[in-house]
Amino acid sequence: MKSLSIALKDLQILFKNRGEVIQLFLLPLLFIIVFSGALGALGEGEEDTRVPLPIVDLDGGEAAQSLLAGIDAAGGVRTELYEQAQAQSLIEENDISRMLIIPADFTSGTAQGDTVELTLISHPDADIQQTEAVRLVIVGVASDLALERQILASLRQMGDMQANAPEEYQVFNTDRVLAQARIQFERAQTQPLIEVVQTVPSEEGEREETPDLGVVAVAGIAVLFVFGTAQVTARSIYDEKKVGSFRRLLAAPMSKAALLSGKMLPNIVVGLIQFTVIFAFGIFGLKLLGLASPSLGNDPLAVVLVCLIICLCSTAFGILIAALARTENQIGGLTSILVWGLGIVGGAFIPIFILDQFLGPVVKIIPQYWANRALSNLMLRGLGLADVATEIAVLLGFTVIFFLIGLWRFDFD
Amino acid sequence: MPAILEVDNLSKKYGDFEAVKGISFSVEEGEVFGLLGPNGAGKTQTISMATGVIPPTSGTARIAGHDIKTDLDQVKKINGLVPQELALYPTLSARVNLNFFGRIYGLRGKELKDRVEDVLRIVALTDRADQTVDKYSGGMKRRVNIAAGLVHHPRLLFLDEPTVGVDPQSRNHIFESVLRLNRERGMSVVYTSHYMEEVELLCNRVAIIDEGNIIAMDTVKNLVGILGGGMINVGLEKVDDELLEQLTQLPGVKEAVLAPQPVSPPPAEGEEPQKETEPVLPTTMVKIVAENSQQAVVNVISFLNEQDRPLTSLEILEPNLESVFLHLTGKKLRE
Repeated sequence: MKSLSIALKDLQILFKNRGEVIQLFLLPLLFIIVFSGALGALGEGEEDTRVPLPIVDLDGGEAAQSLLAGIDAAGGVRTELYEQAQAQSLIEENDISRMLIIPADFTSGTAQGDTVELTLISHPDADIQQTEAVRLVIVGVASDLALERQILASLRQMGDMQANAPEEYQVFNTDRVLAQARIQFERAQTQPLIEVVQTVPSEEGEREETPDLGVVAVAGIAVLFVFGTAQVTARSIYDEKKVGSFRRLLAAPMSKAALLSGKMLPNIVVGLIQFTVIFAFGIFGLKLLGLASPSLGNDPLAVVLVCLIICLCSTAFGILIAALARTENQIGGLTSILVWGLGIVGGAFIPIFILDQFLGPVVKIIPQYWANRALSNLMLRGLGLADVATEIAVLLGFTVIFFLIGLWRFDFD
Repeated sequence: MPAILEVDNLSKKYGDFEAVKGISFSVEEGEVFGLLGPNGAGKTQTISMATGVIPPTSGTARIAGHDIKTDLDQVKKINGLVPQELALYPTLSARVNLNFFGRIYGLRGKELKDRVEDVLRIVALTDRADQTVDKYSGGMKRRVNIAAGLVHHPRLLFLDEPTVGVDPQSRNHIFESVLRLNRERGMSVVYTSHYMEEVELLCNRVAIIDEGNIIAMDTVKNLVGILGGGMINVGLEKVDDELLEQLTQLPGVKEAVLAPQPVSPPPAEGEEPQKETEPVLPTTMVKIVAENSQQAVVNVISFLNEQDRPLTSLEILEPNLESVFLHLTGKKLRE
């Protein structure tokens, strides 16, 4: 009850402060309008509906170039060149859905009439229909290329034979040439020079991201500002210490745990209100404004649970900041770095898959990254609670670590 | 009278710095007890330990028989603390503040409402109780600060420098409130201050505290009595033991001793001393405790004239706690 009294008093103080109410509840909505509009427009302007196909070209020869040009020209598929190790890593992380490997002997092999093998690797979670469509494009272009190569090889062979034969043995007349070409066509159909082999890595990886940039902003900004509430908690504790009311509370018959709980509760309540306001605005407000709006996905209860865990993590973050900072300036500095800086790097405005590509494993030490990932998986990709178990576990881990360090460093004196 | 507060060899250390150095004293039920000392003497640290805000490094204290180390929850229910700072929420009204502090002490419903009205009456703020605290004058804020420490009706109230920055009218109001609470409700009070006038006015007994030690403790009357008829500081160019003995023998003089001499500060750490630490003043101060200050002044001046010893300075101090503190420590209370 005493914790509740402290929490109610803090909420009363908070809601009397117009500046903080604007910062906590209205500023995120403004950010969402700006970023949803801007990112949505950006997405529309650069829209390329072709399926990207990462290529590892180990050959680099003339035949490989013809193959790539053929795939690009076929429409529907866009080739993108990668180094083999990079592509391998990306597909393992499910940052790309599939890739095509052109072997080192591709040009020489096709020229000599040997069978060469193109390898199409797809992630287990890649869209099967899309992969099949890509495979058919590759097979089509490769078959044409193989046919062309075989005809050329046949004609070259016949030309060589004719040139070396005595005049009376000049047997390669037009009929013979056409007959030979016909045989080669048939052979190309039954025994293609280029085989497309499709493989699927055995490891279970992450699912492919297909984000709408404007919609990403809603979850990202919600996470950013809910973690921003940690600043309010830290400042509230600092203010209590500064004016001496903390000393008065310590002199009252209540445990330190009850006192800290009372200081933490408002953060959780405010965080949940923030999520409610921001998501309600995202779902209904953006639609009214004619912008792309998110949904709560297929498992709204999982979204609620994740939001609650994010609020807990933010609260523990606030206790940590309050424990580490000794002055108001230190609170400001730590908040700028830990809340706003890491919040932006952790995916407030940038889709997760782009962060992974640019920052690699570094982002995985940022709690906001895991919060964004969990919400992104639930709300944007329609996954369920079981699919975000890792994210939930990591967020709870951060919460415990922050809280323990906060308690350890907290100065009750 | 049984003791409501017994402090037993209490000390507090911060690293190498010892803020409170094993002090002991007791406060009787119904007594107003003063802790007098300059800023930084250890008064607030002592109160903080006795109220359970900070743990002592060693020693203990008992409030109405409950030990602060083993029975802190009971101790906190008996105590009331009025911190030196304005420990209030400025954007909330006085009534909301008092309701909150009452709930923290477990008060609810009608009892809470009655207690809040009661303390608002005590500090004479009933009419403006619904105004936010940040709209109050400094004196009114101080009164709400006191009310917040009273709302749960403590048996022992700790008032830590409650009149800092307060106008004379509010100060008088605070004095009246403290005396009324003590007289009418039998509330015991521990009152810390560096204003000797407040302590003289309010307290039955006083402990003078300096640098973490209690250097004297008695009733105000007895403490002032140390100085008898007052104190005279005489500056002379040269002083020897024979002169001090002669001065002590003069009529009206109780004692004549060398006063502690202000010295030049020692060199900073790591710096080579330029010269030996030596007195700042070129003359020597002699402290004369008088049985009768007028008689002593006349006799001392006549004697020194006869001896052809010119005075470089003369200061006559009334017998009060300020001069007692100066007598005991060589420092002024507000230094």
